[in-house]
Amino acid sequence: MADLLASPERPSPTVKPAGFRSARRGRTASRYTPVLSLALTAPLLLLLAVGFLYPIGALIKLSLFMPTLDLSAYRKIVEQPIYLAIMARTFRIALLVSILSFVLGYPVALAMASLNRRLATIAAAAVFIALWSPVLVRSYAWIVLLQRNGVVNTLMAQAGLINAPVKLLYNEGAVILATTHVLLPFMILPIFVALRSIPRELVPAARNLGAGPATAFLRVTLPLSLPGVFAGSVMCFILALGFYITPALVGGSGSMMVATLIGQQATVLLDWPFAAALSTTLLVATLVIVLVFRKAFSLSKGFASVD
Amino acid sequence: MLRSIRSALVVTACAALQINAAAAAEQVIVATTGGAYEKALREAWFDPFTAKTGIEVVTVAATNAEMRAKAAAMVKTGNVSWDLYLQGEIQTASAQHMQAAENLSDFCKRFATRTDLAPDDCTAAGVRLVSNSTLLAYRSDAFGGAAPRTWADMWDLRKFPGGRSFPDFNDPWRVMAAALLADGVSPDKLFPLDIDRALAKLDTIRPAVSLWWKTGDQSMQGFRNREYVIGQIWLTRARALKAEGLPIAWSHAASFLVGDRIALIKNAPHRENALKLADYWLSTPAAQAKVCEALSCKPPSSEAVKLMSSQARADMPGGADSNAVVPDAKWINDNAALLLERWNAWVQ
Repeated sequence: MADLLASPERPSPTVKPAGFRSARRGRTASRYTPVLSLALTAPLLLLLAVGFLYPIGALIKLSLFMPTLDLSAYRKIVEQPIYLAIMARTFRIALLVSILSFVLGYPVALAMASLNRRLATIAAAAVFIALWSPVLVRSYAWIVLLQRNGVVNTLMAQAGLINAPVKLLYNEGAVILATTHVLLPFMILPIFVALRSIPRELVPAARNLGAGPATAFLRVTLPLSLPGVFAGSVMCFILALGFYITPALVGGSGSMMVATLIGQQATVLLDWPFAAALSTTLLVATLVIVLVFRKAFSLSKGFASVD
Repeated sequence: MLRSIRSALVVTACAALQINAAAAAEQVIVATTGGAYEKALREAWFDPFTAKTGIEVVTVAATNAEMRAKAAAMVKTGNVSWDLYLQGEIQTASAQHMQAAENLSDFCKRFATRTDLAPDDCTAAGVRLVSNSTLLAYRSDAFGGAAPRTWADMWDLRKFPGGRSFPDFNDPWRVMAAALLADGVSPDKLFPLDIDRALAKLDTIRPAVSLWWKTGDQSMQGFRNREYVIGQIWLTRARALKAEGLPIAWSHAASFLVGDRIALIKNAPHRENALKLADYWLSTPAAQAKVCEALSCKPPSSEAVKLMSSQARADMPGGADSNAVVPDAKWINDNAALLLERWNAWVQ
């Protein structure tokens, strides 16, 4: 996973760089000997092995052996339509959240990276304050806004748009909205980093060669920021897949996601093998989808800058 | 999942620190659901107990489901840091419960001669704390003086128009049971629940349901902002709404009686202190009366009922004029997975 997220920054032999690319990347990575590199990453690797790989292994084992090899938990997922439906909904919501985060986040990242200092500062402050406030507070804020006699309903009623309060909370739309809000910084920051690393001369150069502002953006800025877009999308997608608190607070009965289902099976029914099987399925499906995405991005022509 | 594991680890770490810090003094660790419930227990039970015995009562807050999962995990891994934990009456009747809880049969023998206690106030699974009810509550200003009384009235949208609310917190039997009673099933034939019939009856009211509540706070907020005018909610919450000055009334004729027990975890680190605390509860009617005066619950001891105010006795679930339905805990436990699966599929 760490490897996937880091991929846009990894030196790639397949992309024959324009001069700025190698300059940007620098030579720092190659200065360390393999032994030193290993020594420096050893604590993290150890932590990863103990804190991540071991529990995941135990989880997979729990889902498969009870105590002998038994696939009944997985069979249940496939045979009962409800579980696949919840899984499909989770992926759909995660995809919508990623797309929405990109659409809403890209302009903010552009503003943060802009040459106008005041605009950049305001945009950055908005993003960081959002990032630093707790998820619970941000989710509850949506309840305050969207509830029956909340701010949105009151404003719409006063404007004469609606006669009776509209149900805005406890449905899938509320989950998508609130999750997007919580995850936006994870989309904005990687894009911002990518935008900032584009040499400032490129856009004026494009304009100088006759490109209009739109053409310069579409053919220079956007393609060069795609590594950030990709990193942000993957991060949003993966985080949204496992989102627990926000859907639990603003979601309704008809919008259950996998994390809630896993929690239900683990705590209410104490059916740990089934909860483990659901977790494993989610993990494997996530890995497969991320790998496919990565392949698709790197093969398509216009995205050659993505490793 | 990872998030919840991480928070569980943090909670465990905090609990461990707490234990180390106070290891010198005698203590007992109790897991409760927190909030107003724990406050009432602390004032009437824990604090007087500490004053009398010098044993400090340390509380850890968690939901009932979290407690069940954590207690099971603690016993399984042999790393037990709690002594007592709260569980719903129904869950304590399950075989799973006895894998994490110590059998209290021997402890219970000392109460055999007590005439103010019912035989099941102390069982192998735990000590009865209080009994609560989930019942039909409504806004008394909504129907021009008419009052819904039965579950059939809750389904009668012509006579009692307006939004409805039911719970959806992973424990669907009480919604299905209400539907069956509304459909004309007699209370003594309620269990085993006819799930198909219950869901069919629920289909007829579904468009009117404006909220499926998941937490007690949610169930109250909908009454405040008139999102619905009739709801199946906990009596404690209905009482709290009335105390706020809202025109809320309820019907004991449409209610389910469900209690809470306090269970002793296997290999509890302060087992003796825990048993002393449990003994203090059943042996002190005054403490029970004080808790139920505050929470409008039914205490185990009949002596405690006598000590309560007449108003609290009138509001008490399972009181004299009540015909509250007592659920079949064994059937619910045996069919818990099926009930939840059918419910999940229906509610989507």
